[in-house]
Amino acid sequence: MAIVGPNGAGKTTFIKALLDLVPRAAGQVRIFGAPYAERRHLVAYVPQRGSVDWDFPTNVLDVVMMGLYGRLGWFRRPGRAERAQAMQALDQVGMTAFATRQISQLSGGQQQRVFLARALVQDAQIYLMDEPFQGVDATTERAIIELLRTLRAQGKTVLVVHHDLQTVPEYFDQVMLLNVYKIASGPVENVFTEDNLRLTYGGRVGFLRTRPKVEG
Amino acid sequence: MTPVQLEIQLVAVLVAVACALPGTFLVLRRMAMLSDAISHAILPGIVVGFFLTHDLGSPLLIALAALTGVLTVSLVELLHRTRLVREDAAIGLVFPMLFSLGVILIARYAGDVHLDTDAVLLGELAFVPFDRLLAGGLDLGPRAAWVMGGIVLLNTLFITVFYKELKLAAFDAGLAAALGFAPAVLHYALMGLVSVTAVAAFDAVGSILVVALMIGPPATARLLTDRLPWMIGGGVVLGAMSAVGGYGLAHLLDASIAGSMATMVGVLFGLAVLFAPGRGVVAAARRRAAQRWTFAQQMLAVHLLHHEGTPEEADESAVDHLHAHLRWPPGFARQVVHRAEQQGLVIRLGDRLRLTEAGRALARHSVRA
Repeated sequence: MAIVGPNGAGKTTFIKALLDLVPRAAGQVRIFGAPYAERRHLVAYVPQRGSVDWDFPTNVLDVVMMGLYGRLGWFRRPGRAERAQAMQALDQVGMTAFATRQISQLSGGQQQRVFLARALVQDAQIYLMDEPFQGVDATTERAIIELLRTLRAQGKTVLVVHHDLQTVPEYFDQVMLLNVYKIASGPVENVFTEDNLRLTYGGRVGFLRTRPKVEG
Repeated sequence: MTPVQLEIQLVAVLVAVACALPGTFLVLRRMAMLSDAISHAILPGIVVGFFLTHDLGSPLLIALAALTGVLTVSLVELLHRTRLVREDAAIGLVFPMLFSLGVILIARYAGDVHLDTDAVLLGELAFVPFDRLLAGGLDLGPRAAWVMGGIVLLNTLFITVFYKELKLAAFDAGLAAALGFAPAVLHYALMGLVSVTAVAAFDAVGSILVVALMIGPPATARLLTDRLPWMIGGGVVLGAMSAVGGYGLAHLLDASIAGSMATMVGVLFGLAVLFAPGRGVVAAARRRAAQRWTFAQQMLAVHLLHHEGTPEEADESAVDHLHAHLRWPPGFARQVVHRAEQQGLVIRLGDRLRLTEAGRALARHSVRA
């Protein structure tokens, strides 16, 4: 499912509110019928790439293993099993060759794939991804699409904050249109209409006129 | 070396080690200035503690002052969270206020006791051996050594036990929170440790040196390694080196011990900036120079290949005309040719240059890349 909306619409805030990272003004979050705190292990989070310090003294494999810290809990250290899982996740995003690479030496797309691998090792049911396609190269974009398809085939739910409207119908089944309030949400073919987009973006959706087939 | 000198150095090394451990995480979280703030803002805690206990080494005083340190961090956070000021401004607002509160308290109520602002800021390592720990008439050595030894143990224990959690919270606090690791609690625990360390150390070395030892050695270690365990260990070793080296320097110059140690911290950092492998100034300059020669040789090879077998080859490959064709200063062109010959990229036939097989390969590779 894609979450789209203009800048400042609250897409990232929405994701963070789901994860209890920011206080909610109202409402509850239920994940498979329980609050997030009891369902942490079912949710994996891929924050925006720019949210961390890529100069941090650590390597790729180490960052991926951080995804397993939740399952390890307090005090226990990652060992050989965790290392193997992390390598497998790196393989899924085509980054095996970079396992011992210092993270400051990665390109933007490679950083994104490391973050995806870190989410993959969590083996969650729900994946929350904040702008994974932002500023990545074509290889990485293909790798992410491939990954989304794999996850969908495994019956997982993936929520992606997305900004490229053109690719929404191609990449996603469901979409939520957000601009401070939820404008609409549901299957792409029902919800991703010119009217809804105009409500969301305030009339600045010229591209749709050149691609009328999107209208459902 | 006399026992007194050894004792001073022992205490200095313990202080350096105790400071480098939490300091590493301050540097990683880009909160270096917080150590400055804490080491000053604990003053009112020290003063109040001193009124209650009349003993600068009392555990109650250390606990009180550490609380003041945590209070400083909370106030900074509170102010920052209003989003009315940035974090650096919040730090700059909170700690002078608390520090001046301490100064006023001292001036008003502690004029006649051994507690003045000089002692807090600069400390006096030379007096450390005079304050002994006695147990049943037995001399167990300088008390500062026992206090600092305890702090080293405490910090080591904390970082060993929570290594994984501290690393995650420092790298990606969002993920740490999402995974349920309470980064805020860890943050305050770390700040509590910074405060305890600063309080315990200020009596011996003063709060200025505390800041120098918390930030300098880890920042230096960061330049020398890309691995966190090495950075922690490096900070510890570099801190100890600064302590011992600084003591020697103070002896040599007959100067303040704490001042000399802080100077050594700066000297070591300066050396690392210049000579750190890979990222130091010298390494970077050499890399740039090497790139310049490599590029020039590629140019030469491409130039020769381009004109190989053409009518103007004789002119274009003449050693004496190269600089004109490639628009290089004549001296530079001579050096490039010399290096290219040495590396077997070209050979000289009379006054002309010919590419070797290796030179041709380089030229083709350069053009394709």
